[in-house]
Amino acid sequence: MSDSCTVFELQDIRRTYQVGSELVHAIDGLDLQIQDREFIAVIGTSGSGKSTLMHTLGFMDSPTSGQMSFEGEDVSNIGRGTRARLRSTRIGFVFQSYNLLPKLSVLDNVLLPLIYGRQNSTNKRELGYSVLKRVGMEHRASHRPSQLSGGERQRVAIARSLVNKPRLILADEPTGNLDTKNRARIMDLFGSLLDEGITLALVTHDDVVAQYAQRRIRMQDGKIVDDDR
Amino acid sequence: MNLIVDIYAGASNGLREVWSNKVRTLLSMSGIILGVAALVAMVGIVQGMLGNMRASFERSGGVLRLEVYPREAPESQQHIAGISPGMTWRDIVAIEKAIPLADYVTPIVDMGWESFIANGRRERAMLHGVTPDLVGIKNRKLDYGRFIADSDVNAKSPVIVVGSYIADDLFRNIGNVVGQQLRVRRQVYTIIGQFEPTATGGFGRSRRGWNYEDRMNYIPATTAMSRYKGDDGVNRIEILASSVEAMPDLMSQINNTLTQTHRGIQDFEIRTQDEQMQELKKLENSFTYSLGGIAGISLIVGGIGIMNVMLASVSERIREIGVRKAIGARGHDIFIQFLAEAVVISILGGILGLIASVGLLTLAQDLIPKGENISNMPVTAMFYGFLFSSLIGLASGIYPAMRASRLDPIDALRYE
Repeated sequence: MSDSCTVFELQDIRRTYQVGSELVHAIDGLDLQIQDREFIAVIGTSGSGKSTLMHTLGFMDSPTSGQMSFEGEDVSNIGRGTRARLRSTRIGFVFQSYNLLPKLSVLDNVLLPLIYGRQNSTNKRELGYSVLKRVGMEHRASHRPSQLSGGERQRVAIARSLVNKPRLILADEPTGNLDTKNRARIMDLFGSLLDEGITLALVTHDDVVAQYAQRRIRMQDGKIVDDDR
Repeated sequence: MNLIVDIYAGASNGLREVWSNKVRTLLSMSGIILGVAALVAMVGIVQGMLGNMRASFERSGGVLRLEVYPREAPESQQHIAGISPGMTWRDIVAIEKAIPLADYVTPIVDMGWESFIANGRRERAMLHGVTPDLVGIKNRKLDYGRFIADSDVNAKSPVIVVGSYIADDLFRNIGNVVGQQLRVRRQVYTIIGQFEPTATGGFGRSRRGWNYEDRMNYIPATTAMSRYKGDDGVNRIEILASSVEAMPDLMSQINNTLTQTHRGIQDFEIRTQDEQMQELKKLENSFTYSLGGIAGISLIVGGIGIMNVMLASVSERIREIGVRKAIGARGHDIFIQFLAEAVVISILGGILGLIASVGLLTLAQDLIPKGENISNMPVTAMFYGFLFSSLIGLASGIYPAMRASRLDPIDALRYE
């Protein structure tokens, strides 16, 4: 069913939460295939389930039921440890509020995933510099995040997501805190990553941002209501 | 291998956290610092004091010393107890004559505390009537003059050998007081000798009588008997054995001799220093345990302080934990990070505590009297203080680290 070009395959995925006495269906029977080097934008109102979908794709959360495979492997029922390993080696995260650690230098922030990924690369620093160069931030390597502008911080965060050579980068409102000029820069940067064999999925409210994607998925009440390729 | 890398990463992370929260870390360390400093300093001071006691014990003859005390005759001899003359000068003469195993023998005619008067000044100190053998038992040295001689004893001379307390306080630190006169209960004595002080230590009072031996003053036993007592009774007899091996024989010989002079009445007892040794050991133990307990409690309090700060640190950094987890940190990576931080805090606290204790002990060295050959830096206590503070850091870090490691990454990232 899944060939080498399929990154994710989701079948009848459900995720329910118990909130008080009420059962909330955050994802309610969702089918989705993500192909290699796709650029997907997930749009929807808050509460539509798009964040839960991103958490599921990012192995931060497991579905309550349904089948899910990643790179041809069944990942429907994997444990915390395996999910952490997949997060550190196969997935890159970019957040709306950057989430750089303020006490670490730009370079140390970028190198953080390598500590947890346990890659035995001897030239970690060089790798760090090369991804910083990739996002045009190598001249800021020894600075603290607080010394950078919002756009610069987000570029560092993208460098961090790239350092472990992920298959998939997930971005949650990556331009939500940026002005239009920086928004364009970041989106161009994302676009250029596709050529490097990276698949991209981002969550956004912003129609302009969604226009950068090749495929737009609209979610509502935990279901995909529109899939526009 | 991975664990070593984890611990190294955790510790360097911990150091960075500690460095960027200097004031908070210092406050949280204060319990550990105080605990370690108190432990080491108190053990140091007590060891110094006990060492001084042991030195003074050795000085007064140590285990070779025997004492003969009067006591009530046993029940079976009560009806004839009156025929014993009690402990008298005759006992001394008999022991000296009959028992070569006794190197030194002296009676103690104990006058207790007396007022010493000279130059219109008055000081209270102790007065004993003794014979020349006393210096052999006490192993004391004189700064000036000589000790009581046999001729003084025979002639019942009005001469006195004074300790440093009387020499300094009654004569206003003039140094050599030999040849001066003083009065005790209307009797005038000429000072023929002056002991060197036993105690050394602090604040310019080095010659003052910290040690009760510095307050001891001696006159010939016969002088004390004729001028004050009016009979030849003695309060006790002190004997120094020639060797430890000779002690059992010596004791039975003394027993035989005194049984004769006391006409068969067992109204005396021979005491060895074993008991005093035991007492000293008991004292050492009780000090060690009570100090250990107090220091242990303060270290535990210090540990609670660290736990408190670590819990605060965890809730302050929930978002950071979320980020770390999102980019691949496993629970145990986070656990080790926070645990290492707690251990780093407690180890730093332990080191600062040791430094503080060295400072305290250096200060205290001027305050407490020192015996000879006593190291005032208790290395063992330092080692244990440091070890326990590290262990307590480890123990108090476990719970906060566990809370951090169990945080759900999604919740943690949402946390504002």
